[in-house]
Amino acid sequence: MSGIDRSGYAARQALLLDALLRGDGYPAGFAAAQADAAGRSLRRKRARAVARAWPALTLDLGDVFDTRFDAFARATGAPASGDPLRDGLAFVRRLGHDTRLGDDARAEVLLARAALRRRGLFVAAACLRRPYRRLLVVVRLPWGGPVHVSVPTAHAARRRRRPARRA
Amino acid sequence: MMRGLATTRRFGHGAGWRPQLDAAIARTDGLGFIEVVAESIGAPGLPGGVVAARMRGLQVVPHGVSLSLGGAERPDPDRLAHLAAVAELGGAPLVSEHIAFVRAGGRESGHLLPVPRTREALEILGENVAIAQDALPVPLALEHVAALVEWPGAEMDEATFVCELLDRTGALLLLDLSNVYANAHNHGYDALESLARFPLDRIAYVHVGGGTFRDGVYHDTHAHPVVPGVLRLVEALFAMTDAPGVLLERDDDFPPEAELAAELRAIADAARRGGEQRVRD
Repeated sequence: MSGIDRSGYAARQALLLDALLRGDGYPAGFAAAQADAAGRSLRRKRARAVARAWPALTLDLGDVFDTRFDAFARATGAPASGDPLRDGLAFVRRLGHDTRLGDDARAEVLLARAALRRRGLFVAAACLRRPYRRLLVVVRLPWGGPVHVSVPTAHAARRRRRPARRA
Repeated sequence: MMRGLATTRRFGHGAGWRPQLDAAIARTDGLGFIEVVAESIGAPGLPGGVVAARMRGLQVVPHGVSLSLGGAERPDPDRLAHLAAVAELGGAPLVSEHIAFVRAGGRESGHLLPVPRTREALEILGENVAIAQDALPVPLALEHVAALVEWPGAEMDEATFVCELLDRTGALLLLDLSNVYANAHNHGYDALESLARFPLDRIAYVHVGGGTFRDGVYHDTHAHPVVPGVLRLVEALFAMTDAPGVLLERDDDFPPEAELAAELRAIADAARRGGEQRVRD
């Protein structure tokens, strides 16, 4: 193997990639309009892949999905695996607690966390309200795929037992 | 080590296999091969649709997107082992990857980025490609990418760069006509003139994909129909040479089956017209 010095090449590529992801600060000599288009294209491609892998989250965020994901993608590189499920989970974590997700999106998050668990036991639960109040429990055993069960809460069970009102 | 083999193998017409296109591909007559994205193949092995296609006699070509052969780092042995394993699973005659980098400085781009067209880049690419070839059980074909952004200080044009790289490594060419079209349109040069200077005698197979124009810039999206300019390049290519195979790539906004069939027919017709012209001339 030859002893090519790769350090300068590595540094130039890292500078360009960083600037494309951030959307500004392009290294000298690059045409800003071209670089803007390339950066937008990178972020759009990632956003579309995540939207496909996370339909409930995308629906839940609605119009703000694009802007929130764009801000996330400017700050964070894609996962090494290229997996949009993992990318989406990183995005959810970035959204933080100030973004209240709906039931379907929260269920999607739990299932993704279980699917992405590499080893060991995974157990997590969330209280959901729709279509009825229930506890969604997601379990992944070390040797199998994720399993989920919905357990009606006491409140929901009482409502179900209550006889229907007469008209 | 697999390098320097000439492509005498015929592929015919093909389609990029995606789960969403499985049924359409299964019902399409006349296909000779499919391409599978190697990174989409997990531990359970080849998807049922790919196995079924293979049993129908279609050849399977694994297409890698994450080796980052144009990156500063040497190709990752685990990624190489995976690509080799997919090639073995599919009984592939060859595998393909890109002349691009996808990660740098510990960050992933999530997409294929162009390399500078310099002697330095050729040295590094040459070394990385040789490492890959040593790890793969079948020949490697290299695809040039559509680049929205160009590195400053290019020492040669794209076709010359690709020729030099294939000469150094003995790799085959995966000629992407949509990328030729995109780069020529976006960087202001003649696509036909550029196409004629690619090493056409090294073609393993040809990619054709759809795209769209936004603000005057052509985006090679693989999510739109194939534009007429790209079909003209298919015809021009087959007028120059009898390429071993041509494959339609569609990665998003999957069309109805009839639309996909019509696109495949349009590509086949363009190739036939070009072939007739070559025979006449």
